[in-house]
Amino acid sequence: MRIDFKLVFFVLLFSITAFCQTEQLKWQKADISYEKENNFRHRDYSFQFNDAGEVVKKSLAMTYWFFISDVDGDNCPFRPSCSSFLIDAAKETNILQTSLMFFDRFTRDMNVFKRKNHYPRVKDGHYYDPPLNYTLSETKIQYIPASSVVKE
Amino acid sequence: MRKYFILLIILNSIIIAQQDSIDFRSPENIKKFGDYLFCQGDYLRAVEEYKSVQNILRNDTVNFKMMLCYSNLGLYETSNDLYKETSWVSPFHNDIELLKIKNKLLEMPRSIQVFYDVPMDSVFSIGISKLNMTSRLYGEDIRISKSQFLSPFDEKENKAAASLYDLKTNPPYKSPALAGIMSAIIPGTGKMYSGEWADGITSFIVTGLMAFLAYDNFHAGHNTRGWIFTTLGTFFYGGNVYGSIAAAQIFNAKINFDIQDGIKLFLDHNNYFLPDYDFCK
Amino acid sequence: MISANKLKTVLLFIFILMIEASAQTSAADQFNYAKKLFDEEKYFDAVTEFKRLLFFDKSDKYLFEANKFIGLSYKSGGKFSEALTYLTLTEINSKTKDDFFNSRIEIIKVNILRRTTSRALSLLDSLNNDYSFTDKKDEINYWLGWAYIFSDDWENASLSFSKINENHELKLLADSVSNELYNKTLAKILSVIIPGAGQIYTGEYFSGLLSFGWNVLWGYLTVQSFVDDRIFDGVMTGSFLWMRFYNGNLQNAEKFAEEKNLIVTNNALRYLQKEYSGNKP
Repeated sequence: MRIDFKLVFFVLLFSITAFCQTEQLKWQKADISYEKENNFRHRDYSFQFNDAGEVVKKSLAMTYWFFISDVDGDNCPFRPSCSSFLIDAAKETNILQTSLMFFDRFTRDMNVFKRKNHYPRVKDGHYYDPPLNYTLSETKIQYIPASSVVKE
Repeated sequence: MRKYFILLIILNSIIIAQQDSIDFRSPENIKKFGDYLFCQGDYLRAVEEYKSVQNILRNDTVNFKMMLCYSNLGLYETSNDLYKETSWVSPFHNDIELLKIKNKLLEMPRSIQVFYDVPMDSVFSIGISKLNMTSRLYGEDIRISKSQFLSPFDEKENKAAASLYDLKTNPPYKSPALAGIMSAIIPGTGKMYSGEWADGITSFIVTGLMAFLAYDNFHAGHNTRGWIFTTLGTFFYGGNVYGSIAAAQIFNAKINFDIQDGIKLFLDHNNYFLPDYDFCK
Repeated sequence: MISANKLKTVLLFIFILMIEASAQTSAADQFNYAKKLFDEEKYFDAVTEFKRLLFFDKSDKYLFEANKFIGLSYKSGGKFSEALTYLTLTEINSKTKDDFFNSRIEIIKVNILRRTTSRALSLLDSLNNDYSFTDKKDEINYWLGWAYIFSDDWENASLSFSKINENHELKLLADSVSNELYNKTLAKILSVIIPGAGQIYTGEYFSGLLSFGWNVLWGYLTVQSFVDDRIFDGVMTGSFLWMRFYNGNLQNAEKFAEEKNLIVTNNALRYLQKEYSGNKP
C-alpha cells in the first residue's frame, strides 16, 4: 500500500493550523481584579530629546497644562483635548495648517448644540475627534459612526 | 456443562454492567453531542467534536457543519480550506460554493465574480448570481445598467438592491472646493452645506463677533485691542474655511461608510443568499 | 460435554464483549473526568465534559453538581453572564436546603464580582428575610459586607461585619478605609467658599494655591472693570475667565477627592484579593 506523503503532510498541516486557531479561541482562567478602573486622565510629562523643536513644543504644552489647563477644569468635550489636538496636528502638518486646524477645533468646541449625532464617544463620555480627520488628506480620514464607542 | 454455565453467568454480568454505561467517546455519540452544541450556537465546542470524528465518519453533513462553525467563528480561510475534504457528489456541494463566497466577502469585502462549469441546481445558481451582483457594489465602478444589476433579485430584495445601486452609482458627495468657497464668502455656510448646521452657525457668529469687536475697538481708538481682534478674527475666518473643506471630506467619508455598511446589512439580512437549513429542527 | 471448538467460539465472543465493555464509561466516570479537568483549572474543557455528561445522562443524578461546576468554570473564566445562567440552573435543581443556600451564595458572589451589587444586596436581603436560614445569619452578613465593599459603601460594610464580630478583621479594615476617605461634598463646599480650599483639603496644595491665585486675579480684574464702568470688559472677563477658573476649581476639588478615594479603596481591594486569607467572592 503506497502512502501519499503529500496528502498526509497536507492533512497534518491543516490539522495543526486549524487546531492552533481554535485553541487560541478557547478561553482560559481569567485574572479577575477586584480593583476599580482608574479612568482619571494623567498627563504625559515625558520628554523625547531627539528633536529640539519637539522639546520646545512639548515644554510650551506642559507649561500650558500645568498653569492653565489643569486648573480651569475639564472644559473640552472632545478627546484628544484641544491642547493635545494642537500637538498631534503639529506632528502631522505644518505650522499654518496646524493653526487653522486649531482654530477650527476651537470653533467646534464653542458649538453649544448637541454633538451626539456627529461624533463617536470614548469610554469616559467625551467625543472622539482625532486630528487625522482634518489634515485635508482623504485617505487619512477614518470615519467612525456617531453611535460607536472608541477605545482611545 | 458446568463450564458452559459459568461462561453464561459471566456473559450476563457483562451485559448487565453495560446497561449503566454509555460510550461517551463513540464516533456516533461525539457527532450527536456536536450536533447539540451546533444547535446551541456553541460553534467552537461543536467544531472540536466534529474534528475528532471527521476522518472516521467521513460524513458530508459533518464537513459542511464544520465549515459553518468556522465561518461563524470568523475563521473564514479555515472554513474555505475544508471544502477540499468534500467531494463533487456531496449533497452540500452547491451550499459549499455559496458559503465559500460568503467567507471571502466577510474576510475582505470586494467584488467577486465566480463562474462554474459544472451544472448547478437553479436555486443555487440564482444565489451565486445574487452574490456576484451584490459584491460588485464593493468595487470601484459597477459598469452595468440598473436593470442588469437587478435581474437576479426577487421582489422582496429588489427595493433594497435598487437603493444600494443608486447610492453607489450616484453617491450624494459634497464638493470640498465649493464648501471652502461658500465659507470664504459667508463664514459658516460651507459647513451648513456639508450638513454641519450648528457648527456653521457657530462659525458665523464667532467670525462675525471678532470682526465686530475689531471694528468697534478701532472705531473707539483702541488700536491694540483692534489688532488683537483682527488677528483672532483672521484666524477664526481661516479656520472656518479650512474646517468647511474638511467637513465636506468627512461627509463624503460617511457616504462611503454608509454604502459599505448598507451592502453588509443587505447581505446579512438575506443570509448571503444561503438557504435555511433544518439541522436544528 | 461442550466441544473444544464451541468453547473457543464462546471465549472469543466473551473477549470481544469485554473489549467493547471497556469502551463504555459510566456517568460517574465521566463526572470524575470532568471534575479532574476542573481541578486542573482547564475550565473550557471542563465545561465541555460536564455538558457532555448532562447531554447523555438522562437521569437527574448529576443535574445539580454538573450545572454547579459549569457555572463555577465560567466564573473562573470571567464569563459572569454564562456563570449566572448555570448557577441559576444549579439553584433550581438543588435538592436540599443547604444546596439551595450554597448555590444562592454562589450567584451572589458572581454578582459581587461583576459589580451588579444592587442585585447581590437584594438577593442577600431575601435570604435574610427567609426564616429557614436563621442559622446562616453570620454567612449572610459576611457576604453583605463584601457586597457593600464592592459598591464602595465602607460604612455599611463595617456594620455588616460587626454583626458577626465586633473585632472582625474586615470590620477593622472597612473602618480604616472609611477614616481615610475624603468627603467629596466637603471638598466642594470648601472650594465654593474659598477657591482652592477644597484642593488643599485633598492634599493638592500647589493646584489649590494656583486656583486661588487665578480666581483672585480674574475676580479683581472683573470688579475693577465694573468699577471703571467698562461693562463689556467686565462681562467678558467675568464670564470667560473668572467663571471658567471658578468652575474649574469646583471640578478639581471633587475630582481630587474622588481620585484620592479611588487610590485608598483600590489599596484595600488589592489587600483583600492578594493577602486576605478568608472566603472571597
